[in-house]
Amino acid sequence: MKLGLLIDLDTCVGCHACATACKEWNGASSVSGPLSDYQPFGAEPSGVWLNRVRHYEVGDYPASKTINFPMSCLHCEDADCVSVCPTGASYKRADGIVLVDQDKCMGCNLCAWACPYGARELDQSTGTMKKCTLCVDRIYDVLLPPEDRQPACVMACPTHARMFGDFDDPHSEVSRVSAERGGFGLLPELGYAPVNRYLPPREPKPLPGVDDARALLERGLASLASPVIRR
Amino acid sequence: MKPALSIVFFTVASGAGLGLLALLALADLCPVPLLSPAALPRGIAVALLLIAAGLASSVLHLAKPSNAWRAFVRVRTSWLSREAVLAALLFPLAFVYLVAVSFDSAGMARVLLAILVCALAWGLLFCTAMIYASLKPIRQWRTGWTPAAYLLLGHWSGALLAVALASGYGGEPMAWAWVAAALGAAALVAKLGYWRHGAADRGGKSALTIEQAIGVPQGVRPPGVSVAQARLFDAGHTQRTFLTDEFVFRIARQHAQALRGAALALGFAIPLLWLATGPRHWAAALSVAVLALVGLLAERWLFFADARHTVRLYHGDART
Repeated sequence: MKLGLLIDLDTCVGCHACATACKEWNGASSVSGPLSDYQPFGAEPSGVWLNRVRHYEVGDYPASKTINFPMSCLHCEDADCVSVCPTGASYKRADGIVLVDQDKCMGCNLCAWACPYGARELDQSTGTMKKCTLCVDRIYDVLLPPEDRQPACVMACPTHARMFGDFDDPHSEVSRVSAERGGFGLLPELGYAPVNRYLPPREPKPLPGVDDARALLERGLASLASPVIRR
Repeated sequence: MKPALSIVFFTVASGAGLGLLALLALADLCPVPLLSPAALPRGIAVALLLIAAGLASSVLHLAKPSNAWRAFVRVRTSWLSREAVLAALLFPLAFVYLVAVSFDSAGMARVLLAILVCALAWGLLFCTAMIYASLKPIRQWRTGWTPAAYLLLGHWSGALLAVALASGYGGEPMAWAWVAAALGAAALVAKLGYWRHGAADRGGKSALTIEQAIGVPQGVRPPGVSVAQARLFDAGHTQRTFLTDEFVFRIARQHAQALRGAALALGFAIPLLWLATGPRHWAAALSVAVLALVGLLAERWLFFADARHTVRLYHGDART
């Protein structure tokens, strides 16, 4: 199994709902919680996040595009964070999830250094490394209705820009959509073989031009009305 | 990378101690006595103190030192684990060796101990270097120059301490001065090689870009555009984070140059020039060794401050 996330850069609006939902669920989770905040109401609020959304501008105006870019652990197949860990606190499960055993971690930071994606953050108050758990305490919880057995970030996304599934299964939804739309992993040059995939923005449909508008007028404004209203 | 003072001190102090220990063991194996029976045990004790002080300092770097004892279990994959195991092996063996040398015992056991202690010291130095040289996200460190510099700088600073020992407690200070000068020159070459590699790599073809980091070549770009530049628009947070503290450490170019000058002058030029001048007093020798260690502290601080982690691309750096 290769459980992971498929993130659609076409529909992500950069609202940070995934990041806050992640913080909310995992901050109270027994797997890696708490996710400490430092001076939350002070002059320089900061804290531990397992999922962060950054925003990039690609290209030059007017041919430019804003890309909202959520990043969390990519659950790499060849995860150096696991191999450099001296205590065995970092491990990769058979289902592909990379986890940190909070009872074993000594807070040496080496795994964070070995991760090129910035997926791991040290919690100063517990002295241990925190990272995305793929909400392992949600996705296997048989007391939750099946449709809720998904990571908190996926559940929270208002534009359905996040999907969760098994990339090992070629018939899973994530594998299918990723293949259809050219899903890619980050920084393949480094050889970590990240499992999470990102979908590039779609080519937009051409906007209606003057000719299209005239044709519409000729066909009558009635054709513009929604079928619901017409009925 | 953020230069953590505990790690800077650890690598410099332990490096000097391990270099000194290896050199003393080699000198002990040498048929010509390079150190008097009074100097050798004192030297080993100083080396062990330096190593212990360094290791103690490295524990300060841990956010949860109460779990440090677990660090021995992943020797198969982790250089840090290997370092911990070798350190744990070195201390009892080196202590037995110290006792053997103190009682000036002769025989096979002492020779065997000297060989073992020397090998362990080399192994430990190499492990420390490989912790850094094995990290793929930090390209400046991924070179053979990193272990070469760690090994040679440890021996260079250790040799300067040996010169002081030989001048203070008896031995062959001139012979040690030659050894030190040769090691100093080699260490200088290794460090200059490391810096050259870093400078060449920065503009090199294999440097990663922010565009590669966010997938511009894979289609993350405006419609109808085939090549596009990317820049950070908003990092998503207003204050410092763990990632910016740890990885987005910036050092002003003039400060880096001043520190590099200090490292070269204190760490190499002054000690090498002093070695070239004739007679030696133990106090002068010790002062020069301390001066060199201060220079190496600056060098080690730069080793971290100059290294650029891939995470910086996601925080807006154009290239690694």
